[in-house]
Amino acid sequence: MTDHIRNFCIIAHVDHGKSTLADRLLQVTGTISDRDMTEQVLDTMDLEREKGVTIKASAVRMNYHAADGRDYELNLIDTPGHVDFGYEVSRALNACEGAVLVVDATQGIEAQTLANLYQALSADLEIIPVINKIDLPSARPDEVAEDIAALIGGNAAEVIRISAKSGLNVEQVLEAVVRKVPPPSGEDQKPARALVFDSHYDSYKGVVCYVRVIEGTLSANETIRLMATGVEVKPIEVGIFAPTMKPVSRLKAGEVGYVATGLKTVHDARVGDTITQANAPAAEPLPGYFHPKPMVFAGIYPVDAEDYSDLRESLEKLQLNDASLTYEPETSQAIGFGFRAGFLGLFHMEIIQERIEREYDLDVLFTAPSVEYEVGMSTGETLRIDSPAQLPDESKVTEIREPWMNIEIITPTDFYGTIMDLVIKRRGTFKSQEYPAPHRVQLNFEIPLAELIVDFFDELKSRTKGYASLDYQFLAYRADALQKLEILVNGEPVDALAAIVHEKDAYHKGQALITKLKDLIPRQLFDVAIQASSGGRIISRANVKAMRKDVLAKCYGGDISRKKKLLEKQKKGKRRMKMVGNVEIPQEAFMAVLKLGAD
Amino acid sequence: MDVPYAVYLHIPFCRHRCAYCDFNTYAGQEDSLSSYVQALCNEIQAVGAGVSLPVRVGSIFFGGGTPSLLTSAHFRDIFQSLYRAFEILPDAEISMEANPGTVTLAALEQLRALGMNRLSFGVQSANPNELRLLERIHDYSDVVNAVLWARRAGFDNLNLDLMYGLPEQTLADWQKTVNLVTGLDPQHFSAYALTLEHGTPFGRWASRGLMPTPDPDLAAEMAEWVRDFWAEQGYEHYEISNWAKINDGFKMQNEKFDSSFRIYYSAFVCRHNLQYWRNLPYFGLGAGAHGYAGGVRYSNVLRIKTYIERVRAGGAAVRWPLTAAAVNQIPIHRETEMDETMMTGLRLVQEGVADAAFTARFGVSLREMYGREIDELLGFGLVEWKTSGDSGVLRLTRRGWLLGNQVFMRFLRGY
Repeated sequence: MTDHIRNFCIIAHVDHGKSTLADRLLQVTGTISDRDMTEQVLDTMDLEREKGVTIKASAVRMNYHAADGRDYELNLIDTPGHVDFGYEVSRALNACEGAVLVVDATQGIEAQTLANLYQALSADLEIIPVINKIDLPSARPDEVAEDIAALIGGNAAEVIRISAKSGLNVEQVLEAVVRKVPPPSGEDQKPARALVFDSHYDSYKGVVCYVRVIEGTLSANETIRLMATGVEVKPIEVGIFAPTMKPVSRLKAGEVGYVATGLKTVHDARVGDTITQANAPAAEPLPGYFHPKPMVFAGIYPVDAEDYSDLRESLEKLQLNDASLTYEPETSQAIGFGFRAGFLGLFHMEIIQERIEREYDLDVLFTAPSVEYEVGMSTGETLRIDSPAQLPDESKVTEIREPWMNIEIITPTDFYGTIMDLVIKRRGTFKSQEYPAPHRVQLNFEIPLAELIVDFFDELKSRTKGYASLDYQFLAYRADALQKLEILVNGEPVDALAAIVHEKDAYHKGQALITKLKDLIPRQLFDVAIQASSGGRIISRANVKAMRKDVLAKCYGGDISRKKKLLEKQKKGKRRMKMVGNVEIPQEAFMAVLKLGAD
Repeated sequence: MDVPYAVYLHIPFCRHRCAYCDFNTYAGQEDSLSSYVQALCNEIQAVGAGVSLPVRVGSIFFGGGTPSLLTSAHFRDIFQSLYRAFEILPDAEISMEANPGTVTLAALEQLRALGMNRLSFGVQSANPNELRLLERIHDYSDVVNAVLWARRAGFDNLNLDLMYGLPEQTLADWQKTVNLVTGLDPQHFSAYALTLEHGTPFGRWASRGLMPTPDPDLAAEMAEWVRDFWAEQGYEHYEISNWAKINDGFKMQNEKFDSSFRIYYSAFVCRHNLQYWRNLPYFGLGAGAHGYAGGVRYSNVLRIKTYIERVRAGGAAVRWPLTAAAVNQIPIHRETEMDETMMTGLRLVQEGVADAAFTARFGVSLREMYGREIDELLGFGLVEWKTSGDSGVLRLTRRGWLLGNQVFMRFLRGY
């Protein structure tokens, strides 16, 4: 019997209050005592709490005594709140029958509201619209309610108005979930099929898969099979999140819980895979499994070459928990041994960078991010490269193809012009526009991903005073007049500073980069010549003159310690720079290409 | 090594704080002068009483602040304490820093009679605009008078302190100052490039854009010019910022306490400062004074009143030669001592660090200890090997003297 079960998720644009609402639901249902309530329980990583977004999905079971007098088992599945994690979101949605759609009463409908809503509708979920933050002075709940009603159909009066922060009307959300979300269907007797919608690595229990049992049952006594990877294993335990892990004897059809597999890496149990029983397997896995591919690539190098093995170890550990992170060894002629890592997007990359620095306390250098290019060779073969340094000699190249994206930008209509201007400057093309709500326009563009990863989002935010929101999906590979922009330091090309740029941008990007580098590279003991070259000729050059004077003057009353401290500080600053040949280049220089702006 | 000690005494009083100064000194606390001198005498006594054998002293230096604000009676008390506490060598160098605007002939005569034999005047500039910007309390005529009075009082070892690389100072301005002061024919010059220190008016003005930041390349030109000029004028450039007048026929060679192999042609090389640069021991006495002795670098409490209170309260000495006034101490282990010997020794641009002296002191040669660093610096042309006596000497090159930090930092291994 599954009548008493409700599986639902909360979907929202970033910052619209999804995690706060989740916290409040846990409190209202008594799942977590007020005393144990740390803010935003579902976001377990510090970084998530700081960035205010949910990076990994999570799930929790709540027991709720409803107004109809019955007891319900509510499984709340939290979904990642950022565009980089679209696939993980889609799997989490597939584990549910309903979705609470949270819209900020001050912001209204935004790009991810729509993107998430469309995903939820295509997963056939019952939508429960909720307006949050109605207690804020700038809230305009009536207007937003009308917009929502227009968008999903239905009556504006039925949209629940809450303040997740104060707890106002939060019970109504639970009641609506009970009333409107259908109970899961699915028979216990069928061969087991459970959807893996998330996983994490636990050093005692191995990979813990977060599952929604669609059909059949799972128990810790029977060997399971992961249908996509083919891995078979006897689980350590199965259980539920209540809200911490609590073993149960079996998980039945319709239930949400976990399977502690004992596996050593999340690569063996990927999100989207189907778990079945090894001795009585299902005929078909659940539909929709795919392995999200990294879109953005960057070199990661230890600042101090001696940290190389520590860096490798940190990447190994991060990968245990993050199947989307890829990396392989890379050697830069300029900056030595490191790794080429692939990320789902720029945001994913930032998270990895911060975790390496914070959790593993390593000084690392990230080179400017790149996309993966397809290079058509005169021999007829196609090369895939994810770093400008790998681009072969231009005489052997017939064409270079780059990934293009569909992007949707939702914005107040006032910013129409400036957004058009931004996208056109970034080589984007306008496709269509829609008006999802009054005074709101959704602009649909196609744009090269390479243009998107170079501070596009920051630029968009600044041009629209933070009002515009963005969502994107891969479109296709397309050929264009692309060429390599190389930077030479004292005559030697620095591979880690190279970029692939459009022919028409090569000149001004080269100049802008040289100007930036001239400011960033400190004066050394000798003159440093920096040049930009593209298409076989030098397009810009500058000279960082040798330093002439760097000496501490007076020794005040024999205060040697102070002199020494100053020198040690200077030496430490020097150590944080990367030696390229005999030139010291500060880390910021490797990201300079990102800061060129669109002008 | 039976090396005599040096004694530094800090006099943290000023009539007015100069706008660039971040030394430990205070204006408007002259009320405390006498009790401060009393405390200083007590501290001297405490150091002297801390050991049974007589402590030999080769140089004494009154620094500040403005030591010339003390009266002759104050100095008499201090000298009495010093002679009681230590065995002052007959040829000891006894120096005092003085502001040219605070001296009189009578006071200088009394000081000379007490045994003071070297004066260091804070001239800084001969240009009235620069002096005003620096907020010095004297003008250039005070300097001329001070030098003449000092000579008349019997001082034949005078240093003039100068500053270059000042905001809006041109090369021509600097040349004019140097020409004027060189005409006064002192025995010694110190020339320091201005550093904008955090927490000083200069630091604030520069960070707010109220004052132009000096151009380091221009400062380098000034330094290079003055080095050549003073060489022509018969001054020996012996330390990064210090020059001493060459005496005909004079050679100061291998004194018994001199661990170096350098022959100086000037009798006026500042012995007290040599002690610092050779990384040899000195006592630091007075508020905020720094010392290095007994294997420890230490420093006293900064504030005048707290210093007086602490010395008055006395109490058990933690460790000789620290007194109740000491608030910081860092034991210097062998490795650190080596690094610091390089950092300070290489400031002596002629003497450098002699391999034989280093090996005698530490039982390991320069090459064994710093082979990689030395090779790198030789490659940059910042240091060179010279032969002096029968030892190799590592020292800064002509190019290296203005890039000293790049050299010194490489010898600091972070202990």
